[in-house]
Amino acid sequence: MIRCILLVDDERMFHWIFEDACSILDISLTLKSIDSADEADRLFADWKGDSTGRPECVFVDLNLVGSTYNGIELVRRINKIHGNGVVIGIISSSTDPAEIEKAKQVGAQFWIVKSDELEPRLEAFHARYDGYVDRSEPFRVFA
Amino acid sequence: MSRDDSVVLGESAVEQLRQAASEHDLYLEGGILRLMSVDTDSPESVKYLKEAKRLDKARRRERLEFTKGVQRRNKEYQQQNDDLKTERGRNDALMVQLKDEKSRTEQALETVKKDLDYAQRKNQFELVENIVTAALRVIIGVGVVTTVMYAVALFVTEDPAAVTLLGSTWSNLLGILLTNSFSIVGTIMGVKYASDQREGPSS
Repeated sequence: MIRCILLVDDERMFHWIFEDACSILDISLTLKSIDSADEADRLFADWKGDSTGRPECVFVDLNLVGSTYNGIELVRRINKIHGNGVVIGIISSSTDPAEIEKAKQVGAQFWIVKSDELEPRLEAFHARYDGYVDRSEPFRVFA
Repeated sequence: MSRDDSVVLGESAVEQLRQAASEHDLYLEGGILRLMSVDTDSPESVKYLKEAKRLDKARRRERLEFTKGVQRRNKEYQQQNDDLKTERGRNDALMVQLKDEKSRTEQALETVKKDLDYAQRKNQFELVENIVTAALRVIIGVGVVTTVMYAVALFVTEDPAAVTLLGSTWSNLLGILLTNSFSIVGTIMGVKYASDQREGPSS
């Protein structure tokens, strides 16, 4: 089970869906949901000094309305500026290959497509989670 | 999750929880259940924890389905809203186009009216000109004929009374012709004035 997951998504309703799906599938022990890239950036900056509460895994929405930057830029900042210590990927309803490629380039390890069929995708991701932790699992789109 | 994370519920605590469940149908729920463990030697405790977890998941699944339904409807409304906005944009563009067309049509109509008015006036002026020309020709013709006749009579007749009669007759006739010519011109000017008044002061 993943100890702590951080979800960054501007859609509050998706927080509930994601939390319930993770709970039903027993994916994580704790889950924190926030709705802005700026807040995520600030949290990761804080966790550089004190890692208490730092998540093991981060799911970032592609389009973060109201944030200074989008999901791909947030992934880049978490990986390059705040240290590459977490399993990180994008969760989005988009399946745009150009965006997926960009996400891959900035160090996203997976791309989960948001839809009604979220649980099987999360389950598949969870089954490969150990591979993401030791970086042996290649980038994958769960669609 | 390591074993150290577990919160082990003692038998007495489980007994109290079971009592709450039987009396009030209340079970432990939420994320804390993932940390809970009980003495595996106590089948009742294990059963309680399993039931609590089952109920928690069932509630979450129900909520998940409900939330998904709400999200689906929201997306549909959003889509309908977007469609309406697009349709409104198209309608606005069409309205602007229609207004332009209307304006162009009105301009064309105005031009046609002006052309028609000009053509009518032209015809009117030509008619007046013809009437005046014909009338003046008749008047001048009659004037010339009577003058010639008077001149001939003046030279041929030797009776002074007849000459005087012819002279007064000639002057009467010229007077009548002059009066008639002024009458024709006056009538024509009157008709023109009346038609101008009917069309309005600006025309």
